[in-house]
Amino acid sequence: MLAGKGFKKVFNVAGGITAWDAKTAIGPQDLGMDLFSGKEQPEDVLKIAYSLEQGLYDFYISMEKEAKHEKVKDLFARLSDIEVKHQMSIYLAYSDISDEEVDKEGFEKMVETKALEGGLSTKEYLDLFNPDLNSEIDVISLAMSIEAQALDLYQRVSIKIKNPGSKDIINKIANEEKVHLESLGKLMDSL
Amino acid sequence: MKWMQFLTPAKSMDFSQTKSYILQHPGEDITILDVRQPSEYQEGHIPGATLIPLPQLSDRINEIDPEKPTLIY
Repeated sequence: MLAGKGFKKVFNVAGGITAWDAKTAIGPQDLGMDLFSGKEQPEDVLKIAYSLEQGLYDFYISMEKEAKHEKVKDLFARLSDIEVKHQMSIYLAYSDISDEEVDKEGFEKMVETKALEGGLSTKEYLDLFNPDLNSEIDVISLAMSIEAQALDLYQRVSIKIKNPGSKDIINKIANEEKVHLESLGKLMDSL
Repeated sequence: MKWMQFLTPAKSMDFSQTKSYILQHPGEDITILDVRQPSEYQEGHIPGATLIPLPQLSDRINEIDPEKPTLIY
């Protein structure tokens, strides 16, 4: 989030305070990639956003299967439900602006999944954040880090996008991510 | 599922690199940014860390000096 806003040097302390306390170490990572060229029309933006939300949904579903504790399973299920709602609002936005009528299934067929190829695998991503999948706090922290990356991506894209309609849509999705992030923060505080 | 698209370009430091970086740079020359929730911060944080919980970061980003190296956790 900071790297995209003019910060000269940003370092992620791998493993966060856990690493600080436990003195464990995770190797350095240089990562970064943008999915958007900046020239997309509003319809294209929505398709890419939909595929990103699908990726998050798939991730939470796979984590739900992997978790052993019922509370953590429930938490992942709730997180995946939220992504379904995000996807629905993206589809509805697409229906609003598209000239041709398309049902949800038809829209899903148009969404390219190639955007999700390349980069870190789920396992590598988990290794990077190193969460305890049986700890609610770790799971929420992981979800917050993912949602923050999504928020960051949308905010960076908003700066890059030229089309005003596309920009509005991206800002709206970014604001939804922010609300989601805040609700995860409250959930963390309630534990 | 691949995740690279979600990651902002930022270098990672492990514990020992972070510790030596902090020791080599005077406190006023760097920002140590704690983006966890306030309750977690209270339980323990890196000395000198500034707390801005992640959900508030995009709104409070102007509280941090972009010219200084920022270590975030």
